Amino acid sequence: MLTVIVTGLAIGMLYASIALVYNVMFSTSKVLSVTTGHLSMVGGVFGAYIISVLQMHWLWGLLGAVLAGATFGWLTDVLAIRRVLARSDEHLWLLSTLALATMVQQGVGLWWGTEPKPFPRLITQEFGAGLMDQKFWLPIGMAIVMTIGLEFFYRKTMYGKVFIAMSEDAFAARARGVSTDKIRLLSYVLSGALGGLAGFAAGQLTFAFFALGHTLTLLGFIALAVGGLGSNIGALIGGAALGLLNSFASYYFGGEYQQTIAVGLLMVVLLIKPEGLLGAKNVRPV
Amino acid sequence: MLRLTKLAVRLSLATALVVSATSTIAADTIKIGWLSSLTGALSSAAIAENQGVQLAVDEINKSGGILGRQIELLTRDTAGDPTKAVNFAQQLAFSDKVHFVIGPVNSGEGLAAVPILARAGVPNLVIGAIDELIDPVKYPRAFRVINTNRQWISTANDYAIKVLKKSKVAVIADTSGYGTASAKTAIEMLEKAGIKPVYSVLVDNNKTDLTDEMNKARAAGADVVMPWTAATGMLGRLLNARGEIGWNVPVVGHPAIMAAQIRQLLNKPEYWQNAYAAGYVSTTFSADGKLPERTQQLVDKIRPKLGGGEIDILFWWVAMGYDTVKIIEHAIKTAGSTDAAALQKVLENTRDYRGVYATYSWSTTERNGFPDSNMAVNQANTFKDGSFKLAPR
Repeated sequence: MLTVIVTGLAIGMLYASIALVYNVMFSTSKVLSVTTGHLSMVGGVFGAYIISVLQMHWLWGLLGAVLAGATFGWLTDVLAIRRVLARSDEHLWLLSTLALATMVQQGVGLWWGTEPKPFPRLITQEFGAGLMDQKFWLPIGMAIVMTIGLEFFYRKTMYGKVFIAMSEDAFAARARGVSTDKIRLLSYVLSGALGGLAGFAAGQLTFAFFALGHTLTLLGFIALAVGGLGSNIGALIGGAALGLLNSFASYYFGGEYQQTIAVGLLMVVLLIKPEGLLGAKNVRPV
Repeated sequence: MLRLTKLAVRLSLATALVVSATSTIAADTIKIGWLSSLTGALSSAAIAENQGVQLAVDEINKSGGILGRQIELLTRDTAGDPTKAVNFAQQLAFSDKVHFVIGPVNSGEGLAAVPILARAGVPNLVIGAIDELIDPVKYPRAFRVINTNRQWISTANDYAIKVLKKSKVAVIADTSGYGTASAKTAIEMLEKAGIKPVYSVLVDNNKTDLTDEMNKARAAGADVVMPWTAATGMLGRLLNARGEIGWNVPVVGHPAIMAAQIRQLLNKPEYWQNAYAAGYVSTTFSADGKLPERTQQLVDKIRPKLGGGEIDILFWWVAMGYDTVKIIEHAIKTAGSTDAAALQKVLENTRDYRGVYATYSWSTTERNGFPDSNMAVNQANTFKDGSFKLAPR
C-alpha cells in the first residue's frame, strides 16, 4: 500500500509543480498556456542531454534545464502571447500556445528521438532502495521548495508584489507606472525556469521523453483547477490529490480507468466548487 | 513569317517526338509504388525496410530488369500519417498508374490506404500486422508479407506453456488500442489452451512505476509475465520493477522486449536476463552462432551500404523489404506481364516461395503469407548484427 501512496505522491507533486508554473504565468497574463507541460519535458530532455550525452556534472545539467526552460518561456511570450493579447481579447492564446507547444514537441522528437531515454542518477544511490529511491523524493522535494520559494517571492520581493498587483488589476498596475509587458515577459521567463526545474527533478520518474508535454499540460491543469487557480498551496494539494487518486484508481481498477477518473475529478470539482479548494471566489463588482 | 511558321512546325514536331519517347520509356518501366514512413515517430522500421527495398531494386535493374523492363521505384514518405498515406495511395494508383504498391508500413496508415488501392485494383503487398487489413473478398489484391499479431502472441504463448512449462500467466498490456486488443487476444488464446491467467491488467504506458503491478502478479502466484505493448518505456519499467523486487520470473512477449532502446532504460544490465520475445527463424543465430544461409548472404551484401561495421538496425525489417521486391519480380515473371488480374492469380497460386525473411504461401482464401513455422522465440539481451540468439528450449 505504501508503494501506491509514494508513487502517487511523487507523480502528483510533478503535477503540482506544473500547476505552480501555470499560476506564475496566469498571474500576469490571465493566460493558461498549453506550453506549460512542455516546459518540463524540455527541462528533462536537456538535463539528460547535458549529463548523459555531453558527460558533464549534473549541476550543469540543472543549469541547462533551467536555461532551456527559461528560453522556451521567453519564446512563448514573444511568439504566442504578446501579439495575441495586444490584438484581441478572445481566447486565441489557446491556439497560439497549442501551436507553439506542438512545434516544440515535434522539434524535440526529431532531434532527441521518439523513444524514451533514461535520465541519469543525480545522487549516488544504489538501485533497489525501494521507496527511499531518489526518483520519488526529488519531485516531491522540488514541489515543496518551489511552493515555499514562490510564497517568499510574492510576499517579500518587489517583483513579487508587482506580479500580485498585475494579477489583481493589470490596468490599475499600468496606471501606476508598472511596465506590464516587461513584467509579463519576466513572469514567462520565471515560469519557464521553474518548469524546466520541475522536469529535471522528475526526470528519473518520467524518463527523458518528447511526448510528455501534452499529458503534463492536462494533468497540471486539473491539479490547478482542483486546488484553485492562483493559490500555490492549493496547487500542491490539488497535485497530491490527483496523483494519489490516479495511483489508487490504477491499483484497484486498472490503468484503463486512470484517465477517466482524473478528468472525472475535474468535472466533480467544476460542478461542486468551481473556484477550486483554495481558489478566490470570483466576485464581480457591480 | 514563313520562317516563323517553319520554326513552329519544327518545334511542335520535336515536342511530339520527345513526348512519344518519354511515354515509350514510361511504358517500358515497371512502376512500383513504395508507401514508406521514412520520417516521423514510426520511422525506424521503415528506414530499415527501405534499405532492403532499394538493394533489391538496384540488383534487379543491374541484372537487366524484369522481363527486360527496368523497375522504376516511386518512394513516397507518408511520415506515418494516414491522411498522407491516403493521398499518396491515390496519386500512385490513379496518376502514376503503378503496377504494384508496397506498404503502407504501419497498421493505422494501412487501414486508410489499403481500401483505396483495392478500389483501384492495384496489387498490394501489405506489411501491417493487424487482422483487418486482410480480406480476400473486399481486398482481393492485398497480400500480407509480414506475420500477423496473432502469430506473435501464439508463438510467445507456446513458448511459455510448452517450453518453459508455465501455467500461471500474468498478462500486462498498455491501454492503447494495440495493447487492449492484444491483451484480449492473448487471454482468449491462453484460455483456449486451457490456461486462465492468474492476473491481467492494462497499464497507461506513461505510468512511472510498475512495482505495484509486478507485486500483484507475484501475489497472484504468477510464474511467467507476458507483456503486450510496443512502448519501450513501459517495458523498461516492467523489467526494472522485476529486478528491484528481486523476482526472477521469466518475461515473454512482444518483440519490443528485445529492442535496443531497452538496454539504456534498465537500472542494471542483468535485469534484461530471463526475458524472451517473439521473433523470426530468419534472424536467429543457430547454436553454433550462424545465421540461416540466405540471411547471411543478404547481410554480407548490404553491410557495405550500412557503413561496413556492425549492423545496428533490426535485420528482419531489411530482409522483409528485400523480399517484397523479389516477390513482385516472381509475380511478374511468372505471369509474363504486369496485368493486375494475372498478378493476383500468380500470387494466389504461390506456394512456398523462398524469401530471406520467410517462405511465403498464399491461396484464393488465404492472404496471410507468413507461415507459423518461420516464427521463433529469441533471448532478449542477445542483439548482434541485427539478429538474436534462440531462446533456450
